[in-house]
Amino acid sequence: MKTSTSTSTSTSTSRSTKTPPLLTLALKKNLNKHVLEIILLVIVVAMAFASSGFLTTDNLLNILRNMAMQGCIAFGMTMVIIAGEIDLSIGSTVAVSGVIVGLVSGKLSSSGILPIDAAVVVGIIASFLVAGLIGYFNGWILTKYKVPSFIITLAMLNVVYGIAAVLSKGFPVTTFPSWFNVFGAGEIFSIPIPAIILLAVFAVILLIMNYTKFGRSVYAVGGNPESAHLSGINVSRVKIICMVVVQLLSALSGILLSSQVMSGSFNFGKGWEMIAISSVIIGGTSLFGGIGKVWGTFIGLIFLGVLINAMTLLNINEYVQYIVRGLLILTAVLITTIQLMKKRKS
Amino acid sequence: MPNGRRPLQDGRQPPFPVASYDEAENGEVDHMSTLETNKITKIYPGTVALNEVSVSFESGKVHALLGKNGSGKSTLLKIFSGAVEPSGGQVILDGAPMKFHNPGEAFEKGIATVYQELSLVPGLTVAENIFLGRMPMKGFMVDWKRTYAMAQDLLKDLGVDIPAEEMVYNLSVGQAQMIEIVKAMSFNPKVLQLDEPTSALAKNEIEALFGMIRKLKKKNVIIIYVSHRLHELWEIADSCTVLREGHYIGKAPMQQLTRKDVIQMMFGDVEIRTRPDDLTVADEVVLEVKGLSRRNKFQDVSFQLRKGEVLGIAGMLGSGRTELLKSIFGADSFDKGEIYCNGKQIHTPTPEKMKKAGLAFTPEDRKHEALIQTASIKDNLCMASLDLIAEGSFIRKNIEKEFVERQVSDLQIKVADVNHQVSSLSGGNQQKVVVGNWLNTNPKIMIFDEPTRGIDVNAKQQIFQIIWEQSRKGISSIMVSSELEELLEVCHRILILKDGQISGEFAPEELKIDELYALSMGGE
Repeated sequence: MKTSTSTSTSTSTSRSTKTPPLLTLALKKNLNKHVLEIILLVIVVAMAFASSGFLTTDNLLNILRNMAMQGCIAFGMTMVIIAGEIDLSIGSTVAVSGVIVGLVSGKLSSSGILPIDAAVVVGIIASFLVAGLIGYFNGWILTKYKVPSFIITLAMLNVVYGIAAVLSKGFPVTTFPSWFNVFGAGEIFSIPIPAIILLAVFAVILLIMNYTKFGRSVYAVGGNPESAHLSGINVSRVKIICMVVVQLLSALSGILLSSQVMSGSFNFGKGWEMIAISSVIIGGTSLFGGIGKVWGTFIGLIFLGVLINAMTLLNINEYVQYIVRGLLILTAVLITTIQLMKKRKS
Repeated sequence: MPNGRRPLQDGRQPPFPVASYDEAENGEVDHMSTLETNKITKIYPGTVALNEVSVSFESGKVHALLGKNGSGKSTLLKIFSGAVEPSGGQVILDGAPMKFHNPGEAFEKGIATVYQELSLVPGLTVAENIFLGRMPMKGFMVDWKRTYAMAQDLLKDLGVDIPAEEMVYNLSVGQAQMIEIVKAMSFNPKVLQLDEPTSALAKNEIEALFGMIRKLKKKNVIIIYVSHRLHELWEIADSCTVLREGHYIGKAPMQQLTRKDVIQMMFGDVEIRTRPDDLTVADEVVLEVKGLSRRNKFQDVSFQLRKGEVLGIAGMLGSGRTELLKSIFGADSFDKGEIYCNGKQIHTPTPEKMKKAGLAFTPEDRKHEALIQTASIKDNLCMASLDLIAEGSFIRKNIEKEFVERQVSDLQIKVADVNHQVSSLSGGNQQKVVVGNWLNTNPKIMIFDEPTRGIDVNAKQQIFQIIWEQSRKGISSIMVSSELEELLEVCHRILILKDGQISGEFAPEELKIDELYALSMGGE
């Protein structure tokens, strides 16, 4: 009796001294892993107290709607960056696709070839085709002539912007039927359609990158193209597909944007490449390729969206917002880089 | 000669100590210096890498430091070079205890290390690389005349026949290795650590390197020499220090040891195996290469590979061996010739096509060509077999798991967690991952380019066992190695590739190792 109590107390004391460090260790590990999510949570909680308008369904849906268009592109950009490439030309694709939908539908309907509704559908198909061709061209030059994608797409940013301006003769194109407004401004169960499309794109890209052969080969190609090639993976094909996908998603964004404002202009989408790339990088994807998570990009997007929304609600000067945004991007990248360095060391 | 500085040929004083190699002949040898450790210990979480190791190295000698992977020899090198701080014990240089917090401090105290991976800047000249960051100045401008004169001087002193104006990207690996050593020696170090300096070199380059090391010995430098190539130690090393599982095993003059002694010290009891007798070769030809040529690389190469056969290709660096293998596998193009798999010609091969035809290829450069360092062990094991672990487009996690587990257990890959990055594994285990990746494709023909490069003797034996095991299953192999004794041990048949042409065919039983080396190198 006596001995049994003594052993039981001794085990219980040893356990109680052991448990806290283990628990803190596990907690610390998880904290490190989800540091971005935690910062996001802190901002959300702080904002809930700072502004009564923040934590309302309307405002949260608003954040999703505002990020939806750049967001679709960001998921495509995640694939491109994991494959070890980049696409700077997407902003111009956003512009040109809105212009093309407007022009094609306008021309086809005004000349009486097609009724306006069918003409808009043709216009949408045409803009996806054009975007796909731009992506294929980027990928082809990239893989065939080994020109860095940075340079090709920087050039294409200008070329496509120019094309959009020439096509629209510098004026906004507004030949849209009123139902076209549904894509950009409509709601289903009071959820904005762009937000639904964003979530759908997120789900599809997540599925592709995490569960398919193709997704795995994107990681392989970005991690080490030579090893991937020698493993019998068609490196060029993988890269070209990624470059096409990001362009198609840019066209999707462009169509959504022109639907929202019922107009297509060569000035749309300016600087969107930076927002798309920022959210990918904030989400922890490495610009060197091979490392990254689609989920991370989602968090990066929400992070940026919440931040912009919060600053607007707090009436922070728009120009100051740029400074804060820039610094926060840098901070987020530093956090992920430092984590990566720590991981490498251990 | 104050400060050990020595005027250059034209009488000017260099801005830093320049090594001099004729002092030994002039009888001006400094007092002997020693590098010692006193009960040095390094504990990593979960393992004791070094357990109270006390060793001592004297100057003027080449000290071989031996041990298989995980023996602690790399940790000891890193402690000397300041990259790792010991958990206990001391490093003592010339009687003074040292405490290094980073590589810079060790370097300042006179310990220079030349690593396996070269650190030269390819776009700069030899002289610029040697004096990087400390080129002699004339006002605000670099004094190029002096830079090149000083570099040429150093090169001449060490008997290195490379012009100081040469761009580093024009150099062979062997030449770059020598420049790396010249650079280290330009700091006039007391200790020079050489980590696997010959692992990427051809025989004639090794000779040149050894000539240089022998000159260094006369300069009264402590040379610590790490190599997996046992046979070269008798040529270059004076003493041999062996570590095993973190313990100091012993130190002895090289000439008093036999190959067997050294292996005994490194591994305890291990028998060196020869090819098992039960490996048979069928008549069926699985691969035929006819008149394959690629300009300036190889000409008119023809051979047949039979089912279950292990075919060795003996060739020195620059013989065209890697280029030949890559052309056969479709990774590089060729100008002329035909390749037949199972009697069917394959036109313009690509790795994708050849994989479908049942070929597998493990490249020579594990780090840059075979593995995806950013990916996990698991992903690396299924990289070539993505089509087989998926149904339609989607990866089936259960099949993937099966594939991964099969290779981990069949090849005895030592892993804590298959989700860890592949870069966390030792060289031998990384090589097994490379092989496992290809075995998962159910190949008919395995092509191994230098499968044993940079891995320890035990891991080598395991790789050989794997090759033999495949042969028993009817899978043929082509193996290239610059350690020709391995070919004698492993293969059924050996082709000699010299200057891009097949110059002979032998059974291993017909040849002695020195004959094989002579045939591969030609001339002598």
